[in-house]
Amino acid sequence: MTSPLDAIPAPSKYPRTSRYFASDQLEHNGIPHLRPRLLPSPDSFVTIAVYEVRAGDRADVLAFRQFGDAEQWWRIADANPVLDPRELTDTPGRTLRITLPEGVPGTAG
Amino acid sequence: MADIGPIHLTLLMGRQIVAPTPQPVTDALLSAQVTVTAGQRSGFQLAFDLTKNGIIQQALLPAGAFDPQVRVVLMATVAGTPHVLMDGVITRQEVGISGAPGQSTLTVTGEDLTVLMDLVENTGVPFPAMGPAARCAAIIAKYAQYGIVPLVIPELIPQTPMPTERIDFQKGTDLAYLNALAKANGYTFYLDPGPAPGVSKAYWGPEVRLGVPQPAINVNMDHLSTVDQMTFGFDGSAREQPSVRIQIPVTKTDVLLPVPEVSVLRPPLALRPAPALKKTVIDDTAKKDAPTALAESIAKAVETSDAVSGSGQLDVVRHGHVLRPRELVGVRGAGITYDGLYFVKSVTHNLKPGSYTQNFTLAREGLISLLPNVIP
Repeated sequence: MTSPLDAIPAPSKYPRTSRYFASDQLEHNGIPHLRPRLLPSPDSFVTIAVYEVRAGDRADVLAFRQFGDAEQWWRIADANPVLDPRELTDTPGRTLRITLPEGVPGTAG
Repeated sequence: MADIGPIHLTLLMGRQIVAPTPQPVTDALLSAQVTVTAGQRSGFQLAFDLTKNGIIQQALLPAGAFDPQVRVVLMATVAGTPHVLMDGVITRQEVGISGAPGQSTLTVTGEDLTVLMDLVENTGVPFPAMGPAARCAAIIAKYAQYGIVPLVIPELIPQTPMPTERIDFQKGTDLAYLNALAKANGYTFYLDPGPAPGVSKAYWGPEVRLGVPQPAINVNMDHLSTVDQMTFGFDGSAREQPSVRIQIPVTKTDVLLPVPEVSVLRPPLALRPAPALKKTVIDDTAKKDAPTALAESIAKAVETSDAVSGSGQLDVVRHGHVLRPRELVGVRGAGITYDGLYFVKSVTHNLKPGSYTQNFTLAREGLISLLPNVIP
């Protein structure tokens, strides 16, 4: 008797807060890996605040202040398209968009 | 409703395709309550401030923007992570007009999208040579226009009848038939909204007591506690041991069928399962074929297996995560007997300006954790 539990799709190995939560898990020559994540278009985010970088800022500290979770710095990096998260806070005076997550609409009008 | 700390609420409404609501509507939202229970349909209630010259009273309410059958999607973004709490339709609207300023309210009550499956009686639709899972997939596919994606798990005991012997017909509405088929197989049927707004997963299968548990609920752990108080109960009369007899059509003799182990549908969570004190006999099985009767007996055993329950209330800001229903969660600090993994049976989300609390009910089949420790 095969168990119907085997038919349930395997849950993601990453928590819901991770940017790899919905990533496909692939295997190449027996080595498991994730599909490279393409950055979403910055236009698809809804800005809720604008922040001006000061000297000594760090992306994780910024994420903790804005979202309440330091591990969410990658959302700021996604919305202000940078490849290296250190670029975010390198230049004091740079303005950063703080946005809702991808796919969450704002309000109309 | 203003943003409360790291929590952001998004409301989308529309006839069939939802769109973001105007800012004045979002601002007028006084409270939102969403109730999600495993094995039942989910419900929601939204209360809006109804000022005399506001956009709701002047334009939206007469235009039918809050009429029954308007679709509502409610999302909460907690600590940067979006959660779709509800994807449903309004079923009832109540307006309370008061002489005191600021006391007039519009309250809309609704249920999740399964209410759309409960509108039309489709009795008599034939399903020749289709097992329960195939029938469910065919029924759910009719609702693809609402963004409902089916996830149907094949039944444990295959019950595909020969069309020359028997053809199954639908009884009642689509939802009633889906639920009846689920109940007969020890399965549940529910809609799980998300991950994107306007999309939900229609799940027909066993309760998912697998996978990575959610961040643990800590109680009585000083500053590490995330819940002030929890209540546990152990109900001795909950669990039943069903027995089922069928008649062999050729010899007309009756046979007692062996009831299979429950753990094929429900991986155990507790070391010491509750004993089955009650012995019951399932009625009207004599004329059924063996696979159907067997499926019914295991369904009854599964349905009554949860003897231990726990309940409490948590503050999402303090806990740091939204507790999701119909998933596993760990409990720490409740002592050896009641610590361990639980299945989240029901969650009620209460959102008000400045607070987001959840009332929850947990369940499992016995005492003492199976695992040596719970992941925090």
